[in-house]
Amino acid sequence: MKLRFSRKMLCIPYAVFLLFFVIAPMLVIVYYAFTDKNNHISFMNFVNFFSDPTKLTTIAYSVVVALITTVVCLFIAFPVSFILARSKFKRKSVILLLFVTPMWINFVLRINAIRELMNWIGLLGEANYFNTVFGMVYDFLPFMILPLYTQMSKIDNSLYEACSDLGGNAFTSFFRVTVPLSVPGILSGATMVFLPSMTNYVVSDMLGNSKVTIIGKFIETYFGTNWHMGSMIALILLAVVLLSSILSGGFKQEENVRGTSL
Amino acid sequence: MKRTASLFLSVALLAPTLLSLGGCSSNGEITLRVYNWEEYIDEGGKGSYDYDYDETGNADTRPILDKFEEWYETEYGKSVRVVYSTFGTNEDLYNQLKLGDKYDLVCPSEYMIMKLAAEGMIEPLDTNSLTIYNENVSDYIAEVFQNTPAVGEEPLEKYAAGYMWGVTGLVYNPEANGGAIESDLKEKGWGIMLDPAYKKKVTTKDNVRDSYFVGLGILNREELLNLDQSASDYGEKLTAIMNDVSPETVTRVKEVLLKMKENIFGFETDTGKSDMVKGTISMNFAWSGDAVYAMDEAEDQDTFLNFYVPEECANLFFDGWVMPKDEKRDEDTRHAAHAFIDFMSKPESAVRNSYYIGYTSVIASDEMFEYTLDTYSVEEGDEEEAVPYDVSYFFRKEGDENEYVIDTYEDQLSRQLYAQFPPLETVKRCAVMGYYDEAEEAINELWTQIKGETLDAWAIIVICVCVIVIILTVVFTKFSSKIEFRIKPKKGYRLVEQKEIRP
Repeated sequence: MKLRFSRKMLCIPYAVFLLFFVIAPMLVIVYYAFTDKNNHISFMNFVNFFSDPTKLTTIAYSVVVALITTVVCLFIAFPVSFILARSKFKRKSVILLLFVTPMWINFVLRINAIRELMNWIGLLGEANYFNTVFGMVYDFLPFMILPLYTQMSKIDNSLYEACSDLGGNAFTSFFRVTVPLSVPGILSGATMVFLPSMTNYVVSDMLGNSKVTIIGKFIETYFGTNWHMGSMIALILLAVVLLSSILSGGFKQEENVRGTSL
Repeated sequence: MKRTASLFLSVALLAPTLLSLGGCSSNGEITLRVYNWEEYIDEGGKGSYDYDYDETGNADTRPILDKFEEWYETEYGKSVRVVYSTFGTNEDLYNQLKLGDKYDLVCPSEYMIMKLAAEGMIEPLDTNSLTIYNENVSDYIAEVFQNTPAVGEEPLEKYAAGYMWGVTGLVYNPEANGGAIESDLKEKGWGIMLDPAYKKKVTTKDNVRDSYFVGLGILNREELLNLDQSASDYGEKLTAIMNDVSPETVTRVKEVLLKMKENIFGFETDTGKSDMVKGTISMNFAWSGDAVYAMDEAEDQDTFLNFYVPEECANLFFDGWVMPKDEKRDEDTRHAAHAFIDFMSKPESAVRNSYYIGYTSVIASDEMFEYTLDTYSVEEGDEEEAVPYDVSYFFRKEGDENEYVIDTYEDQLSRQLYAQFPPLETVKRCAVMGYYDEAEEAINELWTQIKGETLDAWAIIVICVCVIVIILTVVFTKFSSKIEFRIKPKKGYRLVEQKEIRP
């Protein structure tokens, strides 16, 4: 047999990677989620999760925390990206870099620094929920700025000119040109902020003194004592994630703009 | 031709692996896989006993594991290589073992040893061959190992050799609450966690066992204090109360812990020490070894912290070496594992480890006492201030008439010395808490209920409405173009297709 190198073979490493590091672990999680301690098939984890109000409120709570984080990130990142993309400033990449540099510093260090800051201000222990959201926003802001900036800098200047030619003022051009054309950036930014802020329990542990519990913390705790329940929660979280990406996909298709998903 | 070449190549590539596998047995090097807590052994270099107490400047400051390898070779003429790895929690260790990871020696805490023994995951040690350990271990610890059942009637000593031990208590800042904290502690014990005077000034551990223990202590304070300490069954009664996991007790503990959550600053895993030093909080649940570390750290920054073991009851804990089952383990490895325990029980090793990690070793040799004296005795010229502190219960061997008394400074009676060697009357009030067995699931659920978020009904309704609105918006925007809205025309009008209007 003669082996012939074809372009398709380039996919093999990726296929192997996906198989071993994405699909196989997922199957293991599904297996654990639907078995009990004696490895018999069981739906008890599922039933337990949905019959326990604490777990349900915690997951609802995580969604709220993630939503608030996303919205706050969006409100901060949108003007920043807009100014950066539209300004005539020559060194905008430097400013962009300044927003991104914190990402190069170790995450735990940054959160520790925020903790010190909160302690100094006097908010640590007093406003656990605020601190948690603050930490999340601080941590995930670059993920919102980057796609928004990329998307906005792509907007053709002639569109703005056309807008003002037709009598549109600054407001109109912002709401009729900038906003609709940056929807794909908003969506990919929102996805990248929303999903991790549902599970990033280090922030809630450090800044909320572990008095704020998001669903990621439950997964961590259960993986110490009961892998089956932990896997079930992970699976349910996956369903929530899937639902939210279907929802955002709904917006995307409607807009019919080529996205800048990172 | 090509095939032969590739065959040759694969053999050439595999050869080193095969050789190294074979090499193991041929030159007789034993591989000993040790799994221990993080930062739970002398790692040599700066901060180690050999380094800090080195006056000559050429002391051997290598990690203790290297010293063991060397010692084993000179003692038994065989070379041994220690493969050392670490874990963060007992549960991690348990999960690793369950997944089939193989180790020759692991160092879990008492309750995990019991659980592993009950599930048949560890094999008994050959205790007679542990000569150095048997010679040096404190009689007090040996007695605890004898009296604590591992599985059925079999005592713990059959399965485990001790390494470090301690008690749980509270590190506190003596100046807190206008200096009233000491009398508050005496008056309330663990109940101080619920005291509004310390609202948001206390932290506790972010794990279920320590919190459950505190909950039990708060619930049963009166009963525990009224127990007759001189009665012969005092220990049994104490242990029974502190191991109560009946459903009613779990519910009552849950109520206490929910109240506690309201009052405390937070749950912590490792921020407590630094928060104490900074003064963010004035009290922190701590294991005695960590407490010693926190007090040392604080001293460097001129903050003086104290340690207190609540009067009603505290948790006596210890970590010990056990040998997980492994059919493939040969006699040589088994021998090396026992030698490892023995080496760690040599007085100088115990001093090194204890100095490095801050916990109290189970070893009670004369050298260990000398070291304790060196650390805590009053300096020359301060003899007038000296206060005697009796630690005979720990250091006295059978048939030994010596009094082991340390002349120390008065503040040590509530500080490092007190934490490392709690006085006999304190230790007597301590109980070992076993694993939860069948109640484990219920207690883990309890922890979920404590930690989880509770929302008011209106909040849940608002969230549900928001989610539904979002979903409807998406569905509507997506499908609105496809849905035909048939409007019934008014009288006298007719519905016109779009193409009819626009050519």
